[in-house]
Amino acid sequence: MTATDDDLLRAVALLYEDLDPAPHDLADGVMARLAVEDLETEYELLTLVERVDTRVGTRGEGEPDTTDTVALEFAGARYRVLVRIGPADGGERRLDGWVVPALPMRVFLGPPGDALAHTRQSAYADRDGRFEFPAPMGGEVRLWLLPQTGRGTESVPPFVTPPFLV
Amino acid sequence: MATHGAPGGPTSSALYDAATDSFRRWRAGEEPALDDLVRTMSPVLWHVVRATGLDREAAEDVIQNTWLTLVRSADSVRDAQAITRWLCTAARREAWRVSKSAARTRPVEDEALDARLPAHSSPESEVVSNDEKTLLWQALGRLPERCQKLLRIVAWEPRPDYSSVADTLDMPIGSIGPTRRRCLDKLRGELGSLT
Repeated sequence: MTATDDDLLRAVALLYEDLDPAPHDLADGVMARLAVEDLETEYELLTLVERVDTRVGTRGEGEPDTTDTVALEFAGARYRVLVRIGPADGGERRLDGWVVPALPMRVFLGPPGDALAHTRQSAYADRDGRFEFPAPMGGEVRLWLLPQTGRGTESVPPFVTPPFLV
Repeated sequence: MATHGAPGGPTSSALYDAATDSFRRWRAGEEPALDDLVRTMSPVLWHVVRATGLDREAAEDVIQNTWLTLVRSADSVRDAQAITRWLCTAARREAWRVSKSAARTRPVEDEALDARLPAHSSPESEVVSNDEKTLLWQALGRLPERCQKLLRIVAWEPRPDYSSVADTLDMPIGSIGPTRRRCLDKLRGELGSLT
């Protein structure tokens, strides 16, 4: 086998990708860190105003809890955040939510008490204020919401939810 | 998200085109394009930084600091096409600074990586490629450490800034090119002797 330099180097690149891959959440960690550095203002802590647990369908005793859907509503001075945690395909859970009034945002999901800099999942809320985590981390978490108001517009301070359980 | 974790290497011009495009869009005011750039380039920076010998935790810090530096001084990147080189060079210099100041550096342990070598009990379709990887790993392991580091760098970064590579590997800048050639020849020789 007489591999060219490019062949060899490509094989070397793939080998290291296999043996010493970048952490799967490396990019999310970078984005959380960048978001923190951007912030000069305090977070507004939202308040949980309502929690609704819904058992989907009429199921028998002993069915797994994952069929449950939990709806949470958080409120702040100017914005409300609605979060829904429900079953997804393959027995997984998914978390989706939206902000009212609608506002494009960066949304981070992480363990409570932890600095945003250490959160490990991020998403974008679209123009309708909707966001989604298709495979959210489990346990107690909170959401950090960073409005993306763009340059030259009135800035909206970021807000954070109290901890809740996924 | 299609570029996330995309293998780099010398033939992966698509990755570098994607980075250039993301950088242009970000500089034009499209904020989410920075995320695309981060997702495209962070895996490349990982290999560039790990090749300097920093441990995983320190490598992650270095990569985060590299992106902070970019955000704070994006104006200093005059040519969008130079963004990959700018990032790799900044990451390598930061890694070099960290390893010198904190003495936190230690070689990537062969034992730790050996344990991650593909198992031979994998499905038949993968056996051939796994064997090739095992051979390549053995061949690499027979090269001097400096060769291993240099090849990992140039495998992920086709046209690195030689002066920062020279600092990282503690070599004269003029010897990088010839050493690259010699290391590749040695690797080819070792592969030949193993097969």
